[in-house]
Amino acid sequence: MSTFSAQADSRPSSAVVLAAGEGIRLRPLTANRPKPMLPAGTRPILEHVLNALIDAGINNIHLVVGYQANRVRSHFGATYRDVPLTYHTQTNQLGSGHALLQAREGSTDSFLLVNGDQIIDSRIVEAVRTTHTDAAAALAVVEGPQAADYGAVTLDGSEITTLSEQPTSGGFRLFNAGVYAFTPEIFETLETISVDRGELPITDALQALIDDKNHTVAGVRTDHFWMDATHAWDLLSLSRALLRRGWVDPPAIDGGDCYVDETAKVHPDATLVGPVVVDSDAVIEAGAVVGPYAAIGASATVGAGAVLRDVVIDTDTSVGPNTTASELVAGQGCAIGGAFTAAGGPADVVLEEQVYPDVDLGGVLSDRVEVGGAATLEPGALVGPDAVLGDGVVVSGQVDAGSEVVR
Amino acid sequence: MCGIVGCIGRGDDTVNVLIDGLRSLEYRGYDSAGIALGPTLTVLRKAGELDALAEVVDANEPTGTYGIGHTRWSTHGPPNDRNAHPHTDENGRVAVVHNGIIENYAEIKSELEAEGVTFSSDTDTEVVPHLIARELADGVDAETAFHQAVDRLDGSYAIAAIIDSTETIFAARQGSPLVIGVGDNCTYLASDVPAFIEHTRDVIFLEDGQRVRADAEGYTVLDDNREPVEVDIETVSYTAEETGKSGYDHYMLKEIHEQPTALRQCFSGRADALDGTITLEEVGEIPQPDAVQFVACGTSYHAALYGAATLREMGIPAEAYLASEYALSPPPLSLGTLVVGITQSGETADTLAALRDAKSRGVTTLALTNTVNSTAARECDHAVYIRAGPEIGVAATKTFSSQLVGCNLLAEELVEGQLDLRPLIESLRNLPDDVQSILDSSAAEAIVEEYGDSDAYFFIGRGKNVAVALEGALKCKEISYEHAEGFPAGELKHGPLALVTPDTPVFAVVTGDDKRAQKTLGNIKEVQARGAPVIAVTDGESDAAEIADETLEIPETTERAAPVLANVQLQLFSYHLADALGRPIDKPRNLAKSVTVE
Repeated sequence: MSTFSAQADSRPSSAVVLAAGEGIRLRPLTANRPKPMLPAGTRPILEHVLNALIDAGINNIHLVVGYQANRVRSHFGATYRDVPLTYHTQTNQLGSGHALLQAREGSTDSFLLVNGDQIIDSRIVEAVRTTHTDAAAALAVVEGPQAADYGAVTLDGSEITTLSEQPTSGGFRLFNAGVYAFTPEIFETLETISVDRGELPITDALQALIDDKNHTVAGVRTDHFWMDATHAWDLLSLSRALLRRGWVDPPAIDGGDCYVDETAKVHPDATLVGPVVVDSDAVIEAGAVVGPYAAIGASATVGAGAVLRDVVIDTDTSVGPNTTASELVAGQGCAIGGAFTAAGGPADVVLEEQVYPDVDLGGVLSDRVEVGGAATLEPGALVGPDAVLGDGVVVSGQVDAGSEVVR
Repeated sequence: MCGIVGCIGRGDDTVNVLIDGLRSLEYRGYDSAGIALGPTLTVLRKAGELDALAEVVDANEPTGTYGIGHTRWSTHGPPNDRNAHPHTDENGRVAVVHNGIIENYAEIKSELEAEGVTFSSDTDTEVVPHLIARELADGVDAETAFHQAVDRLDGSYAIAAIIDSTETIFAARQGSPLVIGVGDNCTYLASDVPAFIEHTRDVIFLEDGQRVRADAEGYTVLDDNREPVEVDIETVSYTAEETGKSGYDHYMLKEIHEQPTALRQCFSGRADALDGTITLEEVGEIPQPDAVQFVACGTSYHAALYGAATLREMGIPAEAYLASEYALSPPPLSLGTLVVGITQSGETADTLAALRDAKSRGVTTLALTNTVNSTAARECDHAVYIRAGPEIGVAATKTFSSQLVGCNLLAEELVEGQLDLRPLIESLRNLPDDVQSILDSSAAEAIVEEYGDSDAYFFIGRGKNVAVALEGALKCKEISYEHAEGFPAGELKHGPLALVTPDTPVFAVVTGDDKRAQKTLGNIKEVQARGAPVIAVTDGESDAAEIADETLEIPETTERAAPVLANVQLQLFSYHLADALGRPIDKPRNLAKSVTVE
């Protein structure tokens, strides 16, 4: 719709952010919102992405939304940190290239493309912004063990020579961090590509540019922080990583690593063990011990005597008194009764008929799960949204959305 | 948030271009507006919506060949005429509009005052015209004077200025948005592209630190060393309205979806869930009143009904009055009475008149409003803000929800010695998520599909749900233009039941399972016996869902919080009904957002 503005210094100052995908592997947490709106610490992943873009000097942002788009729109509105946000709707999620095409109209200058569901250091954005000059495209390249998931890259100097979606050899190697710079020509390239498997990934267009002798694709190697949450339990490590860096919104108490919003209420007899973040209007009752590595979302409540470590408690969720929870992810608006236990992993988690062994996960409660008194979550349990767990039940494995567990 | 505009090169069309530009920036604020024209400097400004300015413009027929304009959403300094932009220097030679905050204005102001300059507003902006005037008095040229003045400013700003008989607009950007529109032999300036999109799609997005000189010859962009810089012109293609609506089809739907955020803001920092106390800092020391009279109009009147019912339950005699009646037929009151005016804008003329009448009779007055430093807030002894954020859709949605929470906070603040407030606080804290759960799963659209072509729609409830029934009916008629009426459920059989047919669905708001709920179940059967389909809006605690033909579910909560949730379901019904009928939802015929005439 609107254009991507160029600047006197010719570095791209606009960005397209892909926030249309559900994030199927994060089900059931994504029942009501897309993956970019899942919590990284106490704020949506997408909020961190927008912060990184704006901190790197981007002043015009286009959001491609689709799955549960209203959640994105009502959270961010028309501007974020005074930067205008333009929304483009992708009705069917047919891949990142297709998503980008939704934001095509009127684009006449270079722009950045980033994923709305991966945490990036603003210095990665800055590096791609600065590097993108003569090449048809530039992309950030990070070294790590995740190449199998994100696509391996080989570099010749600063030029990308191959991209392979599923590299045969594993191990530590360069991979695509999902931060790109393009000229508007990318749209024409995308249009020439045949759609395979019902999807049009942006990497197909990159491959076409690499194959084309007239173009080069620049690789921007960086070792700054980059992190993706693939599965629900990754939200715990994401939160840990952000807490370690202090990438949270509330201010630190006495310069330490306890970050508490000024509207939060922490009882004088409660103990915060840093690093920990307590967001706006949250309540920590007497005798609770919260942290280390606890993210307590806005308006959440931690009951008296509860002991929480290594948890992500999302907005509006209430944790009953004398709860003991470790490695727990709780979505929005859960009501957890007293003396709840989630003792933590490791556990073998089965997802979509695939076994993930030895996962450090106490359990996942999706949005608005109701838990009675003295219930127990066996390590690795995944509870769907709006499920009701009765008093004293012991839950393991998967509980479907809306179901009731009586015993 | 404010909006600024400017244009040069449009000759006699200048005034219209500025006013139209401001109109498309109204989403950035709409509680005062103004324009300044040159070459003979003429300034017109007016508190209130843009229409108030438009009237002044029609009456004065100002002329000019270039100019600047401003629309304001007050945050600091009340939205009155003197605080409306543009601001001028003492001699009326310089006019300035500004969006943002000048952080060092106090220091500059005292410096200027020490030199004998008299300020005529409470704004931070006014230092700018005085600074420019001082430079001009020192003999420098107009452009240098502008640069010297801007160099002094800290903070965030987008500024545009014109100086008498200098056929030029000067502008600067630092931290607040400013764009240039490049037309044929003319140049536009604005906070946002919609302001001039109907004239040109060729746009320059300025960077922080850049400044602009626009005159009959065209425009020049300068860096902060005042050196010209090359800039790229881009072509934009979006339509004006879309930007403010964040991709929603209507402001009303956007605002319905903003309710979780609005409710969170309303409640934030005002209750201590640990010790079970509620504190409204704005109210300070206010003794417990002997009685409370609410005055309000329209949707706010329904909030007043709810507020009065709440206070009565707490043992305080309380009544809600329609403000238009109150001012002309004032009820008796004792000196210990508190009169509370509920008004979203704080500018509703009828409500202001009622509050003034009360004040003239010597009682304490309080404004419950969304607009900081509005007339109601300033004229009353106390003001409580509901913090819902700007509401642009004419049909009030999020502000009603926030008014209900505001009534609860106010009641608990006013009445001493209440029992444990923790359950109430808990339910108010849960409201954002409870509303979100309705937004995630409402069946309202399906109800419209089933019943959207009926003859009329009736809404019934008892207790605090009377307010919900009346509000549900008002929303329905406002935006769908369909016949809708709300009644206390027990009143049906005393007349309105004659209207009930198989073609008039009845929405029954039934929450909890007390006597009121039980009696309402009887009323449901009453209308079903006449063949009317019944849609129960219920939390499932009573048998309403089993008896009714359809259900709009709400989460279980306290009796005080349930009306907020029930109302959200009815908002969604009215919205989808109006949408299905193709009504102009954000601008229903004959209605205005803030009614500033009696």
